[in-house]
Amino acid sequence: MRSRLLLPAIVASLSLFAVGCSSDSADTTAAPVETEAAVAETEAPVAETEAVAAETEAVAAETEAAAAATGTGPGAGSKKVGFIFVGPKDDYGYNQAAYEGSQAVAAKFPDLEVLTAENVPEDDNATRVMEKMISDGAKIIFATSYGHLDPALKVAAAHPDVVVIQQGNFINDAVPANSGTYFGTVYEPVYLAGIAAGKATKTDKLGYVYAFPIPQTIANINAFQLGALSVNPKVETLVVNTSNWCDPAKQAEAAKSLFAQDVDVITQHQDCTATITKAAEEAGKMVVGYHADASTLAAKGWVTGSEWSWGDLYSDIVQTSLDGKFTGSKYNANYRVGFKDGGNPFVQSKFGSMVDDATKALIDEAKTKISGADGSPFTGPVLAQDGSEMFPAGVPDYATVESKNTVFVKGVVGDIPKG
Amino acid sequence: MSMFVEVLTGGVRGGTSILYAALGESVSERAGVVNLGTEGSILAGALAGYAIAAETGHPWLGVLAGAFAGGLLALVHAFIVLHRGGNQLATGLVILFLGLGLTSLFGVSYVQALAPTFRAVEIPVVGSIPVVGEILFRQDPLVYLSYVMVPALWWFISRSRWGVILRASGERTEVLLANGRRVLPVQYAAVVAGGMLAGIGGVHLSTAYTKAWFENMAQGRGFVAVAVVMFAARQPFKVAGGAYLFGAALALSPALQARGYGINQFALDAVPYLTTLIVLIVLGRRRNADLPEGLSKVFQASPSG
Amino acid sequence: MSATAPIADPTGSAARATLAQRLAAARGVGRLLVALAAALALFAVLMVIKGVNPVTAYKDMVTSTFGDSSQIAGILVRATPLILASLAVAIPARAGLINVGGEGQLIIGGVAAMGVSLAADGRVSGPIALILMGLAAAIAGGLWAALAAVLRITVGIAESVTTLLLNYIAIDVMFFLIYDRWKDRKGSGQPATRAVSPGEQLPLWGNTRVHLGLLIAVVATFVVYAVFRGTSWGFRLRVVGGNTEAARRAGLNVRALIISSMLTGGALAGLGGFTQLAGAEFKLRSGFLFGYGYVAFLASWLARHRPIGVMLACVLLSSIAISGDSLQLDSKLPAASVNVLMALVLLGVFGFSKREAKS
Repeated sequence: MRSRLLLPAIVASLSLFAVGCSSDSADTTAAPVETEAAVAETEAPVAETEAVAAETEAVAAETEAAAAATGTGPGAGSKKVGFIFVGPKDDYGYNQAAYEGSQAVAAKFPDLEVLTAENVPEDDNATRVMEKMISDGAKIIFATSYGHLDPALKVAAAHPDVVVIQQGNFINDAVPANSGTYFGTVYEPVYLAGIAAGKATKTDKLGYVYAFPIPQTIANINAFQLGALSVNPKVETLVVNTSNWCDPAKQAEAAKSLFAQDVDVITQHQDCTATITKAAEEAGKMVVGYHADASTLAAKGWVTGSEWSWGDLYSDIVQTSLDGKFTGSKYNANYRVGFKDGGNPFVQSKFGSMVDDATKALIDEAKTKISGADGSPFTGPVLAQDGSEMFPAGVPDYATVESKNTVFVKGVVGDIPKG
Repeated sequence: MSMFVEVLTGGVRGGTSILYAALGESVSERAGVVNLGTEGSILAGALAGYAIAAETGHPWLGVLAGAFAGGLLALVHAFIVLHRGGNQLATGLVILFLGLGLTSLFGVSYVQALAPTFRAVEIPVVGSIPVVGEILFRQDPLVYLSYVMVPALWWFISRSRWGVILRASGERTEVLLANGRRVLPVQYAAVVAGGMLAGIGGVHLSTAYTKAWFENMAQGRGFVAVAVVMFAARQPFKVAGGAYLFGAALALSPALQARGYGINQFALDAVPYLTTLIVLIVLGRRRNADLPEGLSKVFQASPSG
Repeated sequence: MSATAPIADPTGSAARATLAQRLAAARGVGRLLVALAAALALFAVLMVIKGVNPVTAYKDMVTSTFGDSSQIAGILVRATPLILASLAVAIPARAGLINVGGEGQLIIGGVAAMGVSLAADGRVSGPIALILMGLAAAIAGGLWAALAAVLRITVGIAESVTTLLLNYIAIDVMFFLIYDRWKDRKGSGQPATRAVSPGEQLPLWGNTRVHLGLLIAVVATFVVYAVFRGTSWGFRLRVVGGNTEAARRAGLNVRALIISSMLTGGALAGLGGFTQLAGAEFKLRSGFLFGYGYVAFLASWLARHRPIGVMLACVLLSSIAISGDSLQLDSKLPAASVNVLMALVLLGVFGFSKREAKS
């Protein structure tokens, strides 16, 4: 009897509390609505001119018409910006870089409140967190993990006035007027790092630990091998996947297995990166970094690496959205930025002591080349692992590079899990 | 290095954190207390060990800190189940959430910290024996400590007077009472000792195996340890075998991949659990009869149909 | 004892509760409230250590969790599979069985439902497809749980042990499929199946994300409640749970009761996997319902396996989980804080809401 009373008692009291509070909050939110309307009005002229420019966007047309009528585009005049991260914001890797980008936005826009949520799973829970950010007043949301795309599109569909933009994935169908994806051409600095690795290796075997065979990872692995191959015709890249963005124990074992196969330069595509870096240093091997500058973890073995610098790109997306110009902008698409545009958010880390001046010169030369109109790490002909032609002669554009990187190039040793 | 040696070396290395935790769980279960919160104690040990090693510069102080933190969390479990009558399985799960939450909360600043770590040391003479030496005697000091711990615990449980008392606390409390001993202190000691061992397992995970702290880094190894204990019927040598089996299954995938063979990791991942299930089925009746009386109350609230 | 025997409701005696019993009940509620207050106070200390004002944090937590329709929808969406998986703990518990396998039964249910969708390949949709998916999920979940019951009866392995092991095997089965055979070839490269077609999705409640699964869960709760109170099966389960030997002597088929309770429970958890797939996630991916089974286990213990209480406990635990959004966004605490809050509340309830010493 006693226990049957307990739970209903708690829940009843909690819900009473809730009802009381919710009526409170309804009162307090009434006031800000008015001020927001005022802001929206002042934004109107900007949005109207933008509407003309965007009319060519067939997909965007409907929502844009609505936006033009009210005088605002999605995200316009937002007081808050939300960021969701799949992992902890202190992972010394991917999520930390994205978090630091969000803090750069906070510094650049002192009037904006930046909301951040970490450990947001790539499932329906992400939908709920974004919904909360929106009801807290955010009209611009960055979903920063590859797997956040499904929930991001779901939220975008439910809130046409909110910009929901996703980092790193690719929208295959029509891009909604208030959504898009953005990413750097990550494989470009990885290609340059591959040159350093190809020069540094004495065994001609490089190792790559990765999480999942997603296109950007496959492009990285291929670019790493191609960069190394451009300076070392005998080089191979051995790959091991961990099926997990961060399981340090699996990473430790993967590194050991690669070293056992005579790999002497190792790199990775994992969210947390310390374990592999330290494993290399302890084993007296060399390491190429990813996500963050970890040269302090490997004083002897650090070759070079690539790291994120999201601040400028995030800030520009925020500014575009605040101005009501998101729809029809370059971000209202699958936006990729690389060396050619001079704004790649993925940049080279510093060199370790073993990289000599001749190698640095080679890297500079390659960088100039792929930054030019007729350069790409995937300049054809490039052969796939099975010997078939992957890229024909010529320079592929960013979209082609992304779509063709579903198999490994020749010289990569390892299987892509079926799928 | 042959693949056989590589996988078994990896099995010992990767199985050690599971081994410590499973030894701890064995001690606890001998006293009639199941602790599903082992995962929490591993995490507590992993963080405390790494943090103290980073702060003091001494990995061995990290081991002490890890044992302390793992034991402290187990103490909460002991208090709730022994003193307050909480259900063991449910309380253990809560302890897991508590450990996960607290370590994530306080571990943030140690993700980037540099700590001195345990390195592999080859033991002279035996380390140069082919195969056996390569697998067993080129490991880190905490692995060697576990080699001592296994026979020591076996002796303690099966041969020592204290072992009799421990087992009696989980099986025949009336014998203890008749001998004028109190049951509770023995059970408390066993649960806390179990947590301390799991904590050392955590220290191995962070300061020897992966050389990093990361939230939720145990990734289910505490549950694996509980499964190993079922498989091994709380006997230290069998526990070691089970832990190494799990470790080897984890080491097999990268070893195959680095040689260019594609592999679906998850078929391998299921092997240890299936093996445990099959072992339990094959040895079913007998194994069930081995279950300490106190434990059968936890595992099955009513006698089997 | 015949199946039509009038049901002696053991809790019916409550109606004749003496004053002393009422006082004891009041003391129980009092102790529980003290335990909850202590948990909240302890968490407040933690917040102070982290530099957060606990008063503001608690206020924000309550206003934003219960004052925001999308958060309330989030609570209900999360509670849906939890309720079904908790009933999977509560039904066998009535017969004295411990089902720690809600996790695996949920997942295997989701796998079976997805399997139907893949096998049908768009040939059926609408209610027929949903019924087929739900049936497959219930059968799969039921068999997954019944396996543990059979092993207990034939080989004598405790069902708490086997259900725990079967959780891991279920997860690996799902991973194996989504990583390989079932992986969406047109997908993004991460292991996931394709989405179920729009015709295979559960209807939503108005404009919210709350789906028909919630209704299924609530109806299931009341059905289980009625079955416990008003059928001979429910009564016989209780007899087995109370004293197996006496039940056997009274001529009850104990084995059949053990298997049927696990089968029914597992079927409900399987159904939970189906509702999550067809109502919220639409595809199987890494992390599908991870951890839900354990939280459901805790919810059932929290409510001492009484169906209505179990349902409310699930709503309570989802509310705590979702209040984590507020702790992060309003109070800027790390995501993991909410695990600590949940653990403290549960420890308070498990450890301090009753007076019995050693069980």
